Amino acid sequence: MLHVAPWFWFAVVTLVSWGIVGLLQKLSTNYISAESSLIWLVVGFLLLEPLFYPGKAVLHYNGWNLTWALLSGILNALGAWALFAAMKSGGKASIISPLTALYPLVVVLVAPFILRESITLLQAAGVACALIAVALLSTEPQPEATGDSSNLTQDTAGTGI
Amino acid sequence: MALSDALKARWFWYSILCVLCWGGWALLSKLGSREIPPETMQFLFTVGALPVGIALLMARRFKLEKSKKGIFYAVLNGILSGIGGLTLFAAYHTNGNTALITVATSLYPTITVVLAVLILRERLSATQALGLVFAGAAIVLFSL
Repeated sequence: MLHVAPWFWFAVVTLVSWGIVGLLQKLSTNYISAESSLIWLVVGFLLLEPLFYPGKAVLHYNGWNLTWALLSGILNALGAWALFAAMKSGGKASIISPLTALYPLVVVLVAPFILRESITLLQAAGVACALIAVALLSTEPQPEATGDSSNLTQDTAGTGI
Repeated sequence: MALSDALKARWFWYSILCVLCWGGWALLSKLGSREIPPETMQFLFTVGALPVGIALLMARRFKLEKSKKGIFYAVLNGILSGIGGLTLFAAYHTNGNTALITVATSLYPTITVVLAVLILRERLSATQALGLVFAGAAIVLFSL
C-alpha cells in the first residue's frame, strides 16, 4: 500500500470541498451580487460555529496563537474583498483569477525563513507543476458563437475561502 | 495588456493585496495550528472573518438581494468552505510542510473545472486540459 504523508488526505478533503465551493460560488452569483455572496458565506461559517465551540479550553492556548487564528480569518475575508474590488475595478476575471491564485507563492517564498521549513527537489517539482496547473486552469476559454455566457471556468480559481 | 498599463490599473493592486492577504492567511493559519486544534482554529477563523462580513453588510446599508436560490448556494458555500478550512487546519496541525500543504490545497480549481464539465456540461479548453495534467502530476509528486 502506498504510504502518504499524514496531511495528504486532509488536504484532499480541503481540495474537494473548495472545488465544490467554486461551483457554488458561480451558482450563487448567478442570483445575487458578489458582496451578498460573501455575506451569506459568513452566515454559512456561523452555522458551523456551535459544532466547533471550544468553551473555556480556548483560554489555555498561547495568546499569540489565538491572535494568529483570529488574524487568519480577517486576512482571508479581506483577501476575498480585495478580489471582488479588483473585479469591480474593471479587471478581467481571466487575468485576476490566475493572478490571485498565486497566493501559495507567498508561503513558498516565506516559509523557509519564518517557519524554517524546506522542501525536497521532488516536492519543488510538485510545487512548480501545481502553480502552472492553477494558472492554466484559470484561463478564460474562447467564447463560442452559441456558448453559454455564464461560463464557470473563468471564475474557478482564486477564491481562497 | 501591457505590463505598464496593468501596473497603473486599480484592479492590479487590489489583486496584489488579495495575494498578500491570502498568503498571510495561510502562514498565520499554520502558526496558530501548531498548538490550537483544527476545530478551535475554524471557530476563531470565523470570529475573525465576521467583522469583515459586517462591514460589507454596513457598506450595503443592510440591503441584500432576496433570491432564495442565491442565498441557499451562498450559505452552502460557507458550510463547505468551513469544512475545507477545518481539514486545512487539520493538515497544518499534523506538522506537515506548510508550503506543500498550501500549494496542494490551492489546486481546488481542478475539482471545480471537472465538476463544471460533468454537471454544467461546460467544455474544457485545451489549455485547461493541460492544467489538469499538471495538477495530476503535482498530486502524484506530493504523494511520493
